[in-house]
Amino acid sequence: MSLARVYWRGLWSGRLVLGYTLLLSLTLFILAPFLMITLRSVGKGWFGRLWFPPQLTLDWYRWAIEVGNIPEVMKNTLIIGVIAVAVSTVIGIFAGWAFGRRQMPGKELLMAVVLLPRMIPPITYALGVAKIFYTLELVDTYLGVALAHVSVCAPYAILVLSATFEGLDERVLEAAGVCGANTIKRFVYVVLPLIMPGILASMIFSFTHSYNEFTLTLLTYGPHTVTLPVRTYLAVGDGYWEITSAMAVIMVLPSLLILAMIQRRAKPERLVGGLKGV
Amino acid sequence: MSEGMIEFREVTKRYGGLVANDRLSLTIRRGELMTLLGPSGCGKTTALRCLTGYIRPDAGRILIDGKDVTDLPTHQRELGMVFQNFALFPHMHVWDNVGFPLMIRGAPKAERARLVAEALRLVRLEGYEQHYPRQLSGGQQQRVGLARALVYRPKVLLLDEPLSNLDAKLREEMRFEIKEVVTRLEITAMYVTHDQAEALALSDRVAIMNRGRLEQLGTPEEIYEQPQSRFVAEFIGLSNFLEGFVQALQDDRMIVQAQHLRLSVAALPRVTPGQKVLLFLRPNEIEIQPRRDPAAANSFEARVEKATYLGDTMDYRLTLGQGLDLRVQTDARHRHSPGVSVWLHLPRVRSWIAEQQ
Repeated sequence: MSLARVYWRGLWSGRLVLGYTLLLSLTLFILAPFLMITLRSVGKGWFGRLWFPPQLTLDWYRWAIEVGNIPEVMKNTLIIGVIAVAVSTVIGIFAGWAFGRRQMPGKELLMAVVLLPRMIPPITYALGVAKIFYTLELVDTYLGVALAHVSVCAPYAILVLSATFEGLDERVLEAAGVCGANTIKRFVYVVLPLIMPGILASMIFSFTHSYNEFTLTLLTYGPHTVTLPVRTYLAVGDGYWEITSAMAVIMVLPSLLILAMIQRRAKPERLVGGLKGV
Repeated sequence: MSEGMIEFREVTKRYGGLVANDRLSLTIRRGELMTLLGPSGCGKTTALRCLTGYIRPDAGRILIDGKDVTDLPTHQRELGMVFQNFALFPHMHVWDNVGFPLMIRGAPKAERARLVAEALRLVRLEGYEQHYPRQLSGGQQQRVGLARALVYRPKVLLLDEPLSNLDAKLREEMRFEIKEVVTRLEITAMYVTHDQAEALALSDRVAIMNRGRLEQLGTPEEIYEQPQSRFVAEFIGLSNFLEGFVQALQDDRMIVQAQHLRLSVAALPRVTPGQKVLLFLRPNEIEIQPRRDPAAANSFEARVEKATYLGDTMDYRLTLGQGLDLRVQTDARHRHSPGVSVWLHLPRVRSWIAEQQ
């Protein structure tokens, strides 16, 4: 074996070690807080400087569900999520059609306006929303909280669906017209199936944003519309760290479920306007 | 009922200052395959899109089978169309693609199955029913497109550069296939292309368009043999042009002086001595001989500048001196090397009066 090769091998294994170290630290950085919360949610009598809880228990979950009223809260979160997704998707389809397929003056400016709710600090925006909702008596209603979420979800839906509509082949629609399909049939039989991946992507984005939304919920919720993030936050205020941790873990589960679904069922690159290559 | 299946009556379409169709009038007869031929930007695509209803003409009427369709939306015009980029529905397999026009029209299931199977047999795609467009080759996709266009027996078939996205060899095969299918179904077809070889091979009649207007309308033979303008002559086939003036008239011949050449050409009607004319020669109608043939008229000495071997033909650039160059194509069996002096014999020279060009 030549010297150069020995050196090369050394360098190679050195790079490998470096790479794995980096990867491991990154993983820890991402996972450590989550690991901590999970441990906390099942640990008993875990005080001081111990690295691992001395006793394991599922009591905190029982507490979270019974005292923290998690099933009810989960129901609220899901209902609000579904409303927010429905409204955002409808807005996204119409706006996406316009942005993706129409030439209009000031398109960029309009797009900027659409994205504005995401640019200004959430608390500033939420305060304004709250003021309006108090006037309209929308505070502490499913619709109210969901509509507040739409301001966050719709921009994503519009972005994703604009890209999807842009990728639609104009000539395929023309072909459908020549084949005898009127506007409605063209939409049902050709447009809709072709933009379905985009709609799915937009729904997933919208749902995750609604599900995770905290600031806007905090200023528009009431006793009947407590959502998971807010409930968890309130539990922190009550000082029960173990129960809070259990709630936090429960809250993560649906997100993981969705993530697994996306990974298995669809390639992410196909979801976002991936129709161009078809 | 008139003879015309498709009729353009003074159709005009402007895009800003650009006139894409300038009072275009054209009649396509029942059962005829007509090609709209022209360079890009000549207005052929605009004419097609006016016919499909995709754009609305600014003025003029369009008739299909005697019925004014100018104000009808696309889906009510009962058309079949084949697209350049195939434009198949990517989310449907072949069977559903071909059956789409029938499904839209609410045809009963049994009839639909029969017609789809028939259309697929027509384009020789049996066995591909469950394939998606992306699983097919370009040629197969275009055959699906053809089947979809024909499946419900529309009154007219429109073909928008259907072969441009295929490779050269396949293009020629498909040319005959389309011609055969159209002939067998006796359907009226309008074929849009910029490829003159396609137009000559396929059409019953060719309409050559230029700058939004109809330049010449005729059978492939008429278009090739008797081009009525320099534009048509240049567009169809290869051509050499010489400018000259009429020196004398002798019976049905005229003597034309083109630079230092004196040519005897069939006289044009109502031509007078002194008038400027434009002469036009097809490269394959010029003969090259090693020696002068004393019996032949229009014989000139020339020097071979460039000789290109094209397999079945030789392509020569010859100079006759004084900046006069001709392109000549001959049988590849007789070859002349560059630098050699030869005699050109011009048995057939066409001409037009120059001002009219």
